[in-house]
Amino acid sequence: MMESLAISLVHAVPALSGVPLWTLTLLLMVVVAAVVLTFALLYAGLATYVERKVAGDIQARIGPNRVGPVGLLQFLADGIKLLLKEDIIPAQADRFLFALAPYLVFIGSFAAFVVIPFGVGLIASDLNIGVYYVMAISSLVVVGVMLAGWSSNNKWALLGGMRAAAQIVSYEVPVGMAILPAVLIAGSLSLQDIVRSQAGFLGIFGWNLFHNPFTFASFFLYYTAALAETNRTPFDIPEAESELVSGYHVEYSGIRFAFFFLAEYGDMFVVSALATACFLGGWHVPFLSVEALPASWGNLFSLGVFLGKTLGLVLLMMWVRWTLPRLRVDQLMRMAWKYLVPLTFFNLLGVSLWLLLFRGKGIPAMIASLFG
Amino acid sequence: MKAHAEALPTQEMLINMGPQHPSTHGVLRVILRTDGEVVVNARPDMGYLHRALEKIGERVTYAQFMPFTDRLDYLASMNCNAAWAWTVEKLAGIEVPERAEYIRVIVCELNRISSHLIAFGSFTADMGAFTPFLYAIRERERVNDLFEDICGNRLTYNYVRIGGVSADLPDRFLEKTKEFLDYFEPKIPEYNNLISYNKIFVHRLANVAAISGGEAVAYGLTGPNLRGSGVSFDLRRNEPYSVYPKLDFDVCVGTGERGTVGDCFDRYMVRINEMRESVKILRQAIAQTPDGPVMAKVPRVFKPPAGEVYFRAENPRGETGIYLISDGTVNPYRLKIRAPSFVTMNIFEKVTKGLMIADIVAVIGSFDIILPEIDR
Amino acid sequence: MGLKEYLGDIWEAVATTAKGMRITARYGVDPRETITLQYPEERWEPSERFRGFLYNDIKKCTSCSMCVKVCPVDCIALEAVRGADKKLVLVSYEINIGRCMYCGLCVEVCPPKSLTHTSGYEKATVSRGELILHFVTEEAVEIKARVAKQVAEAAAKAEAAKEAKTTDVSPEAPTGAKGDAPSVPEKKGVPPVAQPAAPAFAAGNPAAGDDGEKKPAQEPKGEPAKPEESPEEGGGKTI
Repeated sequence: MMESLAISLVHAVPALSGVPLWTLTLLLMVVVAAVVLTFALLYAGLATYVERKVAGDIQARIGPNRVGPVGLLQFLADGIKLLLKEDIIPAQADRFLFALAPYLVFIGSFAAFVVIPFGVGLIASDLNIGVYYVMAISSLVVVGVMLAGWSSNNKWALLGGMRAAAQIVSYEVPVGMAILPAVLIAGSLSLQDIVRSQAGFLGIFGWNLFHNPFTFASFFLYYTAALAETNRTPFDIPEAESELVSGYHVEYSGIRFAFFFLAEYGDMFVVSALATACFLGGWHVPFLSVEALPASWGNLFSLGVFLGKTLGLVLLMMWVRWTLPRLRVDQLMRMAWKYLVPLTFFNLLGVSLWLLLFRGKGIPAMIASLFG
Repeated sequence: MKAHAEALPTQEMLINMGPQHPSTHGVLRVILRTDGEVVVNARPDMGYLHRALEKIGERVTYAQFMPFTDRLDYLASMNCNAAWAWTVEKLAGIEVPERAEYIRVIVCELNRISSHLIAFGSFTADMGAFTPFLYAIRERERVNDLFEDICGNRLTYNYVRIGGVSADLPDRFLEKTKEFLDYFEPKIPEYNNLISYNKIFVHRLANVAAISGGEAVAYGLTGPNLRGSGVSFDLRRNEPYSVYPKLDFDVCVGTGERGTVGDCFDRYMVRINEMRESVKILRQAIAQTPDGPVMAKVPRVFKPPAGEVYFRAENPRGETGIYLISDGTVNPYRLKIRAPSFVTMNIFEKVTKGLMIADIVAVIGSFDIILPEIDR
Repeated sequence: MGLKEYLGDIWEAVATTAKGMRITARYGVDPRETITLQYPEERWEPSERFRGFLYNDIKKCTSCSMCVKVCPVDCIALEAVRGADKKLVLVSYEINIGRCMYCGLCVEVCPPKSLTHTSGYEKATVSRGELILHFVTEEAVEIKARVAKQVAEAAAKAEAAKEAKTTDVSPEAPTGAKGDAPSVPEKKGVPPVAQPAAPAFAAGNPAAGDDGEKKPAQEPKGEPAKPEESPEEGGGKTI
């Protein structure tokens, strides 16, 4: 895709025809990656601000409001503060692993931004194994977390790391199985294909959410399981502040801690984006056929709608966090294996049978065909 | 099980849940030996906040010791003040005017509400739900406003004196208290809706650390911890003091509504229900408060007769007892404070065997201990 | 676990979560629920009886040192000398508000009601010496010198009067000046001649308050009877 972009760039700017194609492609890749990363980091910073504001509102108080207008620059102040902090590595800690762990967690979280379909033509790389790639790369987080827990040379961190590993790995199963209905309906793992398969029916009823009752349930199951993947309350046992005092990242300070923190918010976005793309129609604008519009307007509208839906789901995660208490680790595991896995499996079965029986038509399609 | 253990050797981990910890309600150190997540032995290590209060009591006069009782249990400061006053009055046979007794009961029950609010708030915060804590603090601030009007301080009140109270109620105090009660009463069902009956919360607490009634009595548990185990014993009802015989209220007892009788959830619900009962008591006390003096005639240089006395009061955390030996001089000869949290910690080691680490936090929170009381 | 129980569990979890979320949503959306007081732009006005920092009106103070005796933590230090009219003159009065526990016992017991609580509660300082409030602004040595001079003058006048009388009536025994010591502290160990207490603390040394010297606030003879008893507590040194 980058190559085709490079070719079209050469056509547009003839002065560049002297440059070999591969350099141009590489340059474009770097630029696009930089853009995506900047967006991701900016989002992560602002997400911390929004989280604190939402927390304040729910808790009958004001959140940050001193730094910048209505406290918007708080995340910058926090970032600079973390950068300037002393870099402490515990005495007996495994230095290499200790330094490596935040990077792994960061990569595991932000590398998934590459396949997120932001708009009609706005996707960094439309891999034909999109969903599979996201699942695989976010599993890197497990490795990072375990390394963090182990290398800190701290029993609390170790406990937190082990719990986190068990939790993330267990919840991968229901997440995967809850995403599969969307894949089955679209017939492809590519995220753009999945989004495109939800076209039509006024841009709302084409959503996979309304396709059949099993996908409706799948959405909520996916969301719950994904909440556990990202270690958010009620599943934040690994970083349970009031028990393990921050769990696996207790020994981290300064920018290393910032990596963990940003990775958590990045993960939230990725998970919400996946939910939007697979169940809530992705970038389809309601009442508008966005693919028919000229490229720039189409991209703009679809980007706006996609971000709106995704950030709405992120806000929902924050709302849930400040309402619910925390599950104990054995209850968490029980919930994964005894509740979510059977339910998602049953759902998958249901969707497969539905698609077989009704030849892939969803409820909106059937209602539309009734009316001719 | 044994064959399994032989096949897979495990090693116990010695973890220090140190004095600095967000959930230990003060500077409590718990030495945990765990086998993975399961606790094999949890021994509390107390003494980080020892300030030799009982020794100070031997150096100061009876009236001067009053501000030190504030710092015994700073969340129930009025109750501790009043306990000391009642003890000395019992020893010296001082007759306290009725208005003073009613005022004492009013401030004690208000303090009981604010203490239970903190217990409720910090307990839910330990469980991971940070929001109810903020709501509890908001309610408590209103109680503190009332106390600031009456005595000038918001935490360590030093309001009760031997022989009465230090000053009469300010303007409109009773009306403001009634306004607070009207504001506060609908908040309790709101807390229940928000968190008390939440499935996750109930699941965390039901059947955890269940203490039977007999065990509770044997280990000397008192207050909500005892009543949570199903034993209906409340000093305000069984050994009434002050004007409690004239007030009508129910004794809240744990019923095992979501698990076994005496588990963490029962103790928690007893505290929530006790707040409701305190509101009831307060409404009656406000209506019944007579006019009159607020201080009995106590000599400036106060020398009670030589002798010894033990008095116990129903504090929010249990039975606060003061054993006082006087030798006829202006200073007490010896005073010993029976702190309810200290006695409650006796059962900690027994009850935490076989629990998970997350449950340790639940147990500490459900016992509602406070360290200055334990360490004195 | 039966199917009904299983589904019931799921339903209960969802229902109670939704109930809780409705409450937090109401708080999140309703701006009237925010109760923050934005300090320092908005300040909480303390109540009338608020026990803030202490203030002693030295014009009314009679140096009875009741406050010194009743303080549970010995944070008040008072020094007085006996003047020519047999009344006590306040030489120095210091309260260590870093040690004070704001219990209000001293205010309650003050007979002339010169000691009161103000509504101040903001006094962050960078050294502990700044937390000692001195209420007598004149230098102690100057006060003592002045009083000593007055006493000497009075003694001289009495002598002169006595002289005049003896010239009239000889065999009368002199009754005058019994040689009242200008400063009662002679009875005690350390005559607090020079040195106001401040320098010991101005260096920010908390331990300079010598607890050893200071007697406990209550004496065995703690009667209020002797108001003219000038304070012996470490000779004007505050803890």
